[in-house]
Amino acid sequence: MTDGNKIIEMEVLRYRPEQDQEPFYQSYEVPFLDDWSVLQGLQYIKDDLDGTLSFRWSCRMAICGSCGMMINGVPGLGCRSFLRNYYPGKLRVAALEHFPIERDLVVVVDDFMNKLAQIKPYLIPKQVRALDQGEYLQTPRQLEQYRQFSTCINCMLCYAACPQYGMNTDFTGPGILALMHRYNADSRDDGRAQRMELGHADAGVWGCTAVGYCSEVCPKDVDPAHAINQNKMGSAIDYFLRFVKPRGASQ
Amino acid sequence: MEVFKADVAIVGAGGAGLRAAIAAVEADPSLSVALISKVYPMRSHTVAAEGGAAGVVRDDDSLDYHFHDTVAGGDWLCDQDVVEYFVAHCAASLTQLEHWGCPWSRKPDGHVNVRAFGGMKVERTWFAADRSGFHMLHTLFQTSIKYPSIRRFDEYFCTDLVVEDGRCQGVVAIEVATGRFTFIQAKAVILATGGAGRVYRENTNGGIVTGDGMSLAYRQGAPLRDMEFMQFHPTCMPGTGLLFTEACRGEGGFLLNKDGYRFLQDYGLGPAEEQPRNKFMELGPRDRLSQAIWHEERKGRTIDTPYGAAVNLDLRHLGRKKLQERLPLICELAEEYMGIDPAQECIPVRPGIHYTMGGIYANLETETPLPGLYAAGECASNGIHGANRLGSNSLVDIIVFGKLAGERAAEYAREVQHSEPTTLAKLAADAEQRALDVVNRTDGSEKHSILRREMGQSMESGCGIYRTADEMQSTCDKLAELRERYGNVNVEDKSTVWNSDWLGALEVGYLLEVAEAVAHSALNRKESRGAHQRLDGFEQRDDANYLKHTLAFHTADGPPRIEYQDVVITRSQPGTRAYGAAGVAEDAQAAQEPAHD
Amino acid sequence: MSAQTDKRHPYRRPMRGWWKRDRYYIRYLAMEATSILIALYALILLFGLLRLGQGEAAFNGWLEALRSAPSVALHVLLLLVFVYHSYSWFKVMPKTLPAIYWRGAKLPQPVITRIGVCAAVIVNLLVIILLTGLQP
Repeated sequence: MTDGNKIIEMEVLRYRPEQDQEPFYQSYEVPFLDDWSVLQGLQYIKDDLDGTLSFRWSCRMAICGSCGMMINGVPGLGCRSFLRNYYPGKLRVAALEHFPIERDLVVVVDDFMNKLAQIKPYLIPKQVRALDQGEYLQTPRQLEQYRQFSTCINCMLCYAACPQYGMNTDFTGPGILALMHRYNADSRDDGRAQRMELGHADAGVWGCTAVGYCSEVCPKDVDPAHAINQNKMGSAIDYFLRFVKPRGASQ
Repeated sequence: MEVFKADVAIVGAGGAGLRAAIAAVEADPSLSVALISKVYPMRSHTVAAEGGAAGVVRDDDSLDYHFHDTVAGGDWLCDQDVVEYFVAHCAASLTQLEHWGCPWSRKPDGHVNVRAFGGMKVERTWFAADRSGFHMLHTLFQTSIKYPSIRRFDEYFCTDLVVEDGRCQGVVAIEVATGRFTFIQAKAVILATGGAGRVYRENTNGGIVTGDGMSLAYRQGAPLRDMEFMQFHPTCMPGTGLLFTEACRGEGGFLLNKDGYRFLQDYGLGPAEEQPRNKFMELGPRDRLSQAIWHEERKGRTIDTPYGAAVNLDLRHLGRKKLQERLPLICELAEEYMGIDPAQECIPVRPGIHYTMGGIYANLETETPLPGLYAAGECASNGIHGANRLGSNSLVDIIVFGKLAGERAAEYAREVQHSEPTTLAKLAADAEQRALDVVNRTDGSEKHSILRREMGQSMESGCGIYRTADEMQSTCDKLAELRERYGNVNVEDKSTVWNSDWLGALEVGYLLEVAEAVAHSALNRKESRGAHQRLDGFEQRDDANYLKHTLAFHTADGPPRIEYQDVVITRSQPGTRAYGAAGVAEDAQAAQEPAHD
Repeated sequence: MSAQTDKRHPYRRPMRGWWKRDRYYIRYLAMEATSILIALYALILLFGLLRLGQGEAAFNGWLEALRSAPSVALHVLLLLVFVYHSYSWFKVMPKTLPAIYWRGAKLPQPVITRIGVCAAVIVNLLVIILLTGLQP
């Protein structure tokens, strides 16, 4: 498949629940070209060396969020990490940390999906508008208030970076809290009070201890740590204001 | 086998499937809707669409313009009644998404902004930076969570449709995590499984775009229509085929050959001007641009890359600020994958397979010829794209016709009853056995990854931008050989939990069937039209014989049976497809003649 | 859905020793650890207050103890810890504030951190000048 003469050693964490008690590293020799991603290395293994290796992937361009994995211990997208950057050393690839391993590089993401559904991740409009009234008006400045938080691709690298989530999976976690903030900060939305019932809880923004690694590993500069920690201020204000106002504060 | 009874089952949870699911439950909240997808919804390939979605909003634009751009862009192979319905519903569909939260880019006054796109007379492409599909998909997915009667089957891989009593009554699917089968019994089934770009090697598509739904319907007797029209997008990354959106050119990017010359002016698209002008030069349609690059290569005026000939996409004059604001994903792709700063350097690009114009034949109501079976989105051929799709028409296609399919399927589901469960269970069990036979056999010797690779190479050599009978014939022969060898496929992995080796083998089965439909449809069309261009004596469009849709029918054990179907023409008679200055002259002449309608 | 038996057996990796996994975590824990030393210094000051309440002699004894060599060394160490802690605090600060716009553009987070650090330096200088100015 390749005319390249460079060969990299890829150690891949294997776990086949039907035969393995626990995960182990399996080593593969992968000939590669300079523009090959880690994902292409894995595809080579699957197509040409070992068809039993399982991993998720699709778009190859860092937008579908499927191929999050630990690459030499750091959460990264397989399709956006390049083999040349690890050569001539060897490369260790493992399933995303803090999630149960279903098989090989595939993790169980039910928890993430359930949390996503819980935070009401949809617009709860101030006033419902009919289609013939046209679009809600929103200036570029208002769009800018939430735009960055709307670009999360749900790759879950931030969860693999968050030790708080690793130690207590009740914590809603960086990506989902950023999504919550995305809707709260949308000028068309009026659902903040409903969402922050979850946001105020221990499992909400207060579960974060500002480690900040989530924002470092985020491939899309969503900066979940920013979304969460600016809400602590709002959450604290809400906490005190609830003694004076019946329904908490709104920004 | 697990059985789930639904009123409507939808296969595919991309833009079309999600829109259909929401439409079905909004039409009747008491209906139970099963939404089945082999990946989590936000991984669906809608996510990768970049440029935007067409909808007429400007005062200087009109539905009529959008209609004519679409029909002429499709080289008159569009069903014009469907195009009329389509253009009339685009803007409202996009507004609906805005109401659901889609972060469309805005003008300073707060209204939605529109950008220019290839083959469009007036700016009408709604966009969310260059992540339009991403935002549409996530908006639809997140909105769908509001509706409790949508029951999602995430990471369930469909292996068959269950057809009984002459109508489609459900689907059989493998739960990927366990390898167990579920029969999702339904009164109506919508296929929204996307395209089949993976029949080629170098393409912009995700790994999941394997024509599953097309093949499922095809095996049950529904014809695949116009499959020879596979769209080559002119600006893809050499090697990986990753997409550099047409919006690069909509925003003012140039295409240069190795001499730094804007070569498109040599191919009837000029004159070259500094500012982008609609339907001129870089804003010509995709088929014309890809063909021009092919000719430049023959003239030796392209750049050599390790992955073949390329031309330069020049965005430098747009400036870093505009690039960051309007094309951030493009900057990321160029920088991360190619080490190129688009504000400083040109990006080498070459044509790659991008879109399947053809698909499961579906009429204006999204009905396929198989009662109870509906199709919407890229997997369907509803007649709006003709022989060449215009950029930004597909992202609206999925929501306009996704919604319609949801409504029509809901209506149909209320009219019919489930058949006798034991009969259906028997059919589902047969389907289960067929899928299990693929993994359980131990005497196979063929690797499906090899078959897939050989198929992709053969499709590229025989069904590329330009085609000849000899090359198409040898692709047909090769595909017949691969079909034969597929019968002897060996799945290495025999386990049940997340056995992607098995699913990969099933996907190659789907791909091979779709590839045969493409190659045979191409071989039989003895003319050049849109994305189907021949070099062997059929260089011209032949309306007398081929102003017709191709229908490919599955046969028991051989190549598809090809038939033809009339194109619906309401008010635009086939004319000359002209762009650039020639297009302006054509328009002026048309204005002097009495109107067709 | 679990009526049929399935072969799933998801494997949960232990969190034991998680902080050694990444340099980022070590830095994070070092930052957290500085809080403990800061709390320690608060105790020392609190003890001074206690001695003040016990009369002049007691307070002078406490002041004397502060001037001892080990105490000076401790103060130098604590000063370094304080500087690191303050810096890390300012580093987190932009995350806790809504985005700030300056002339239509978002203020980058490192700029906010630098503004914070500069403000802290100025305030400290002012306090030092004020205190030394008050001394006869």
